[in-house]
Amino acid sequence: MEMHGYNMPEDLYYEENHFWVKEEGDLLVMGMDDFAQAMAGEIVYVQLPEDGKSIKLGKKFAKIESGKWLGKVFAPVNGEIDSVNEELETNPGLINDDCYGKGWMYRIRPDDKGEMENLIHGREAIEKWLLADIEKYAQE
Amino acid sequence: MASKYAFEEKYREQILKCSRCGFCQAVCPVFGATLRPALNARGKMLLLKEVMDGKLDLNDELIETLFQCTTCANCFKNCPSGVEVPEIIKWVRKDMVRAGSCHPAFKGMNEVLDRHTNIYAEDEPEDFERERNRKAAYVYFIGCVGSYREDASTLATLALLDRLGVDYTLIDEVCCSGVLEDVGFAIKDHLARKNMDLILDTEARTVITGCPYCSRTFNNKPQYAELREKGIAVIHLTRFLQKFDFGVTTDKRVTYHDPCDLGRHCGIYEEPRNTIRKIAPNFVEMPDNRENALCCGAGGGVRGAYAKNSIAMARRRLDQAEAIGADIILTECNSCVHNLANAKLRRQKFKIYNTTEFINELMEEAE
Amino acid sequence: MDEKLKQELIGIVGQENLADGLIDRVSFSYDASEHSHRPEGGVWPETAEQVSEIMKLAGREKIPVIPRGAGTGLSGMAVPIEGGIVLDLSRMNRIIRISIEDRLAIVEPGVVYSDLEKALAPYGFFFPPDPASGKVSTLGGNVATNAGGLKGAKYGTTRDYVLGLQVVLPDGRIMRTGSKAMKSVSGYDLTRLFVGSEGTLGIVTEITFKINPKPTSTSTALATFDDLADAGNAINQIMHSGIIPSALEILGRETLLAINQNTNLNLPEVDAMLLAETDGYTREETEYQLEKVTEIFRRNNAREVRKAETEKDVEDLWAARKSAYAVLARIENNFVLEDVTVPMTKIAELLKGINEISERHGIRIATFGHAGDGNLHPQILYNGYDPQQVKRMEAAGAELFKLAIGLGGTLTGEHGIGLSKAPFMTLEHDPVAMDVMRSLKKMFDPHNILNPGKMGLEV
Repeated sequence: MEMHGYNMPEDLYYEENHFWVKEEGDLLVMGMDDFAQAMAGEIVYVQLPEDGKSIKLGKKFAKIESGKWLGKVFAPVNGEIDSVNEELETNPGLINDDCYGKGWMYRIRPDDKGEMENLIHGREAIEKWLLADIEKYAQE
Repeated sequence: MASKYAFEEKYREQILKCSRCGFCQAVCPVFGATLRPALNARGKMLLLKEVMDGKLDLNDELIETLFQCTTCANCFKNCPSGVEVPEIIKWVRKDMVRAGSCHPAFKGMNEVLDRHTNIYAEDEPEDFERERNRKAAYVYFIGCVGSYREDASTLATLALLDRLGVDYTLIDEVCCSGVLEDVGFAIKDHLARKNMDLILDTEARTVITGCPYCSRTFNNKPQYAELREKGIAVIHLTRFLQKFDFGVTTDKRVTYHDPCDLGRHCGIYEEPRNTIRKIAPNFVEMPDNRENALCCGAGGGVRGAYAKNSIAMARRRLDQAEAIGADIILTECNSCVHNLANAKLRRQKFKIYNTTEFINELMEEAE
Repeated sequence: MDEKLKQELIGIVGQENLADGLIDRVSFSYDASEHSHRPEGGVWPETAEQVSEIMKLAGREKIPVIPRGAGTGLSGMAVPIEGGIVLDLSRMNRIIRISIEDRLAIVEPGVVYSDLEKALAPYGFFFPPDPASGKVSTLGGNVATNAGGLKGAKYGTTRDYVLGLQVVLPDGRIMRTGSKAMKSVSGYDLTRLFVGSEGTLGIVTEITFKINPKPTSTSTALATFDDLADAGNAINQIMHSGIIPSALEILGRETLLAINQNTNLNLPEVDAMLLAETDGYTREETEYQLEKVTEIFRRNNAREVRKAETEKDVEDLWAARKSAYAVLARIENNFVLEDVTVPMTKIAELLKGINEISERHGIRIATFGHAGDGNLHPQILYNGYDPQQVKRMEAAGAELFKLAIGLGGTLTGEHGIGLSKAPFMTLEHDPVAMDVMRSLKKMFDPHNILNPGKMGLEV
């Protein structure tokens, strides 16, 4: 759903560092959103942790790099990594090409799916947050 | 006849000596990863010959090859005609910048270093939980990659220095800016001044650094002459570690990757191996080692400007480590660690460390 | 490049396997020869099918296609002299299969010679030709020029080891030649036709090589001579020694001087040095053979005969020999490297003749080469920016060819005709032979789109 020049689907849940989350059966799928991939430029490296690695809400569990930027990926919920998108190993640019589809990053087995409700969700909330970040980054 | 470009005045003879034999293709990491003659040393020399013959001007079309060279000097080392390709490239890049044709990543880097303290434009360094700028016998100079991209490795290195009881201090260091000289620009005097002032204030007589590139910059560039004049020695960590024993060993199969900036550019091959052999009796060499080492692909600014190819080059080096069944790959350069680690595939189970990081881990396990 | 053509090519090989920017067009203009010409662009096919599609397209559009390996050819066979599309085969670089029991290796043309060597080494096998450019040249290129090398006298050249090929013809049809059997005389020997055809009759997309077990022991010696004639006689008489050395190389005075300037080898600076290697499976065997060779050196007034003792010495000597031509390139800003070859009994005369030509034309000619099979490499060194010297170089070159042909030899032992020797084809080949060659070319390539303008075949 187009929002101020960026595609930010309304039905997704967003972690404040610009990663989206959605339910898929028992699991959650996570990826980078359009705003972040546009800001970052061409992604050249995505850290893909081992399956089964446990992740703690709010803590960094992976790194992601573009030519000029190093980003941290923070866990949106408590849980463990179920699987990762191995295509990103040799084609990290998928995140730029199709960040909501082929560029998905991690599948997470959450301890409690309910934790998703703490993420940014719903058109109004998403828009407010996005605008604030657009402004913030425009200043840098 | 006056040359249009500075590179021609300095290097015309050499460029003409390129006999087009193409032997550089065997060792050029960029060619190895792309198989594109335009990116090989010979391709670059052929272009420059045409520029000198007036068939071409330096312009944007040449950026892709003239700014895509890790300056690893493997070509020069193997060139039967003795063409110093990396030096020529560094001069041509300055002409390119003067002509207004520069890769945006390097133009950007030059601008960043006018306003920031490091090449990544990061404003908050890790504090590494240690005091900075105190009086000490040694200064430990981390370098940009160690500070902002490989902080785990730096933390481990500092932990090791603590264990060895070294009286060192960190400083509020800024980028040595040596890299700018190699990508068409020049060292920032204000940054050099800041580093020298900080070092002198600590009253240390020796600067130790883990970054071979910083060490070369401090030791060779005129902007840092004052340090040398005042008798301050700048040495790479690998030299410093020679006198220590660590009291730990591993039976893992360990190999060593010679960083270009420490190896071919400084001739330091045995010290790192001496240290490793103390802790890893099961040491194996990769093919293409020492002065023949295959470049990891990060140098000369290539990781910043051509990251995909840079990682492809790193993968070729990792293939060699895999082929000899290495469990651990050690090296002595944060840039190499960074690029190799990024290039490692999930199915490859070996680990990549700076030597100090690995030693520290062994010592931690022994506790 | 024409946009429509570009899109069609991208449709065949993919965007990432096509390049038509300035830097690629310039680098594809050159090989290791003195010739250059810009193509419209280059493509890197990955399969024989893609090569076939490209040839069909080229046939429809009447666009020249120039196959290229590593671009280290010394006669200009990879230079796109009439424009067109360069077909760079480097990305077809898989070693498909090695079968020690069948004594063969099947490879794609872009495999670098030394990569095959490395792959065969663990089995104790090798692919003998050993061209000096082996670290960079591709097997497809080796086949296209019938590459020789340092081991030619004892082991022959590339053609002696090609069992079969897959070839894409200029009209795009794909065919196979030869057999995986170690010998066959079934139908015409099409394999032999393509080996050495310099990419003018078809594009090789797969090669089946015969491989040999590698002798595990070698002995190396060098001998110096104050008189070129003595060296020449020594070379001749080797045939009487009862053994064939695995390598017998000659280095002339200029060459020795140049090598010394650029290495720490400190080779004696004499009129001629011979480097000999014998191989076998035991030390005794190779020493025995070497003794036969060094005896002949001594009998021919060798000033010094020295054995290479350590592995490093041996490596250094052969490395020096292999880089001779590029080292010599340091002397002047231009050079022409010839590879005239004569019957063994004429070597001494050829050596003498080269020196005479050099003196008479007032131009430096350094000589080195494969003495063991009569293949010398006179290298004419000159300042390419001085029109006088260029004239002298051309005159000296022409005389060299006349001399070699006059001695019953050939224009080229291993580098091929390409562009450099094209003007001299009729010196060596009679009109009927030239006619037959032209007819063959026309039969394979009626529209003259595959590597046109080479080998002096155009009337």
